[in-house]
Amino acid sequence: MSLLTARNLSVGASTRSGDFPVISDLNFSLAPGKILGLVGESGAGKSMIGRTIAQFLPTGFSVTGGTLEFDGDNLVTMDSHKRRNLLGRDIVFIPQEPLSALNPVLTVGQQMREHLLRIGHTDQAPWRERALAAFESVHLPHGAGLLDKYPHQLSGGMCQRVLIAMAFASRPRLVIADEPTTALDVTIQARIVKLIAEMQKRDGTSVIFITHDLKLAAQICDEILVLYAGRPAERGPARALFSQPAHPYTRCLQLANPSMSGERRGLFTLPERMPGLRAIKDLTGCRFASRCPAVIPACREAEPPFLEIGPDHVAACIRPEIAATIMPPPPLPMPETASGEPLLSVDKVTKSFVTSWSLLRKTTEFRAVNEVSFALGENEFVGIVGESGSGKSTLARLVVGLDQPSGGRVVMAGRDVTANRRDDKAFRREHVQMVFQDPQSALNPRRRVASIVTQAIEAAGKRGDNTARLDRARQLLAEIGLPPEAALRFPSQLSGGQKQRVNIARALCAVPRILVADEIVSGLDVSVQAQLLDLLLRLRQERGFAMLFISHDLSVVRYLCDRVLVMYRGEVVESGRTEEVFSAPRHAYTRTLLSSVPPDDAQLDWSPDTVGDVAAGVR
Amino acid sequence: MFATIAKLLMKRLIVAIPILLVVSALLFIILRILPVDPAAMSLPPNATLAEIEAKRLEMGLHLPLIQQYGIWLAQVLHGNFGTSIHFRRDVASLVMTTLPSTIELAVFAMLIASIIGIAGGLILFHVRGTRKEAGLDFGSILLLSLPEFLWSLFLILLFGVALEWLPFTGRLSPGVERPTITGFLLLDSLLAGKPAVFWNAVQHMLLPCFALGISFSPSIMRVLRSSLLDVYQDDYIHQARLRGLSERRILIRHGLKNAILPTLSLMGVQFGFLFGGTLLVEVIYSYPGMGNLMVDAIRNADLPIIQAVGLTYCIVVLVISIAVDSLYLILNPKLRVR
Repeated sequence: MSLLTARNLSVGASTRSGDFPVISDLNFSLAPGKILGLVGESGAGKSMIGRTIAQFLPTGFSVTGGTLEFDGDNLVTMDSHKRRNLLGRDIVFIPQEPLSALNPVLTVGQQMREHLLRIGHTDQAPWRERALAAFESVHLPHGAGLLDKYPHQLSGGMCQRVLIAMAFASRPRLVIADEPTTALDVTIQARIVKLIAEMQKRDGTSVIFITHDLKLAAQICDEILVLYAGRPAERGPARALFSQPAHPYTRCLQLANPSMSGERRGLFTLPERMPGLRAIKDLTGCRFASRCPAVIPACREAEPPFLEIGPDHVAACIRPEIAATIMPPPPLPMPETASGEPLLSVDKVTKSFVTSWSLLRKTTEFRAVNEVSFALGENEFVGIVGESGSGKSTLARLVVGLDQPSGGRVVMAGRDVTANRRDDKAFRREHVQMVFQDPQSALNPRRRVASIVTQAIEAAGKRGDNTARLDRARQLLAEIGLPPEAALRFPSQLSGGQKQRVNIARALCAVPRILVADEIVSGLDVSVQAQLLDLLLRLRQERGFAMLFISHDLSVVRYLCDRVLVMYRGEVVESGRTEEVFSAPRHAYTRTLLSSVPPDDAQLDWSPDTVGDVAAGVR
Repeated sequence: MFATIAKLLMKRLIVAIPILLVVSALLFIILRILPVDPAAMSLPPNATLAEIEAKRLEMGLHLPLIQQYGIWLAQVLHGNFGTSIHFRRDVASLVMTTLPSTIELAVFAMLIASIIGIAGGLILFHVRGTRKEAGLDFGSILLLSLPEFLWSLFLILLFGVALEWLPFTGRLSPGVERPTITGFLLLDSLLAGKPAVFWNAVQHMLLPCFALGISFSPSIMRVLRSSLLDVYQDDYIHQARLRGLSERRILIRHGLKNAILPTLSLMGVQFGFLFGGTLLVEVIYSYPGMGNLMVDAIRNADLPIIQAVGLTYCIVVLVISIAVDSLYLILNPKLRVR
């Protein structure tokens, strides 16, 4: 008996420029107490499935065929009143951004009370007890006045726990968790995933777990459905699908992710990107054909049928045996880093912020960065890992000169630039450039790409003529792998990955010797991430530069960086060659971090180190 | 929370002092630079030049301007705003008898503006994306583009002259006796137990209050609509829907509660403007408030009154802005000190 069944479900969008398929040929059945993983890159239609279940599709989108049955009732044709009764009670959602999913002007208690009343809690008096019991089941510290706290007073992990407590308060039958951990730190992520699994077991709930992380899905799901451009590519039992992928896309996704164990292997970089909504309509044959490494002419002739691979395992590929033969390329070599005078040396740098200021009381200080020392050699890539609030980004700002250290020294190419005087600033500009995290907000939307990437010419005060600037821009774009015609586009006309390339090109324009990159691949799809990582390695080979690479993703750091610094609460708790630190961590915090990453082999048991003080999350 | 509000009040009071000093200095000096001779104004028209000169010396007008300001300020701080040149009465008592009327007018007009503005904003938001939207949008812009004095004239013509439903001059009908306890007519008539007087006063206030209220409501409407549109993009609205809450509950409890914050800032600013806007409306309706006093004073170059009334407007606007900021603090938990 299945709880939720999709039969040939398809969703379409109708716009002024025509009708587009958004989701097609979706088939799955979710048994009670099971977890179904929906995996795919952004734009694949993962979230649209959640919205179809709730029937909250964006304007212009509608179900164009098939059925979606929940406990025998077709959700597609169900009247809105009946469906609204199911929502929040039998079908619940855990959102992606916990901080923004709670109303900022209501306390946690008020929101919990509203929800309890909604799901049929009638007596007024003991709602507090019931709320606290629900919070206790998600391991939130109670008694700490949690009910009277506003969402902004809690950390992201705590907000997510509140939302999970709300979701499970009615003992629902179906939970849809839409990337519930993407916005959270690795260590928190592991705990939240484990928590959802724990609650799911307690109530025997069915869960749809939407994620872009195939490895994570393989760990916690019973069944996985891989979506590509709105159509299932492969569906099967989680471990079977992960260990013997039968669709080239599944295999490529796996290989695009850097490994955490064994030899450092190359990343499989898929060319270009997934076709968008408008492009899908005009495609004939397999949607993945244009990017598939094993494509044959027959692939482009007709949409591939779903072939039975094994028990409950189907793949939309005409040659399912081919997936296993796709092999990763050899890894890009890591050049020997010259030992000698370091390019950058940071000596006992401290940055403190005054948190409360008063004439009468003693001022309290918060040390975001506490006596951190490290060196960066010529051509060396150094990774900085740690959770949010560990001081990674502050350290980056100190190096670039966006902030002034409260103590310590920063020496760059043999020159002490700590004081950051006028000439120090000019010197810094020539030597170090920063790539910001979010290309969306880092690129001025009113400037063309050519003008953005050559901003360094402006900054240096050289008024180059326009043709020279355009030539330089085209040269930079060629280096980062964008077509020359991109020079005259605006950022809004580029994809996320292309924007991040422009962001990198801008930093490279001044030919810096050091690049400081703050989480530049987080938030990008794995295939785009792989492209960017290889771009950085290739650029290092071609032109040579050192990089300080800040990331919360350990596998990326393992792939890219020669050395790694582990930061915790403003201090470097461990540092060394990446391979050594990751294979034999010495500090307890490094071990916690490493255990939070799901293992490469789905057969291995994942037991993240969940020891940790949740209460530390209260701000 | 009260500590935070107390802190805010302290801060604002400290800022208010220099603002008042600057405004009072500007008022005093600009009025003194005008080619008006207070000495000549305060004497009968047939006074001789010698008499005027003597009066000038008596009034201290030969002293340097800064010194004159100092003397005036010292007097003001003692509560002495001088004597009206035209009315030959104490300025402070003149202002104190007219101020309550103007406050009553402004508060009720603001109340009407808020009710029309918030209701209109909700309606505008409700019809978003439908065919009614264009029509209502047009209507709200039409309201926005008509100034309060046109509304005053329009309402007089319609309800006063054509339909003869409501009176449109003064505060009370002739022959109605006015009780005086606090100076606030509506309050006094209730305190004195005279509902007939109260009702008469309300009838006189309806047209001016609506004229002001209607003209100040469209901007509230439009800001509320657009901030509701913003708020509805937020995740918590979507999440509330996914929890199966009703649309009405989502709008009032989740949408409006967040969208009201930016609207409230605007309403604070609006209230300040509206207080200034009473001037024209009072003149049109012969409403015996501070605006009429001010217009009379300007006509007669009655400098002490202009100074005192100008300063009063300034103080009222400061008080309003402090009140709005405190309200903002109460409604927005993010601003409270933890």
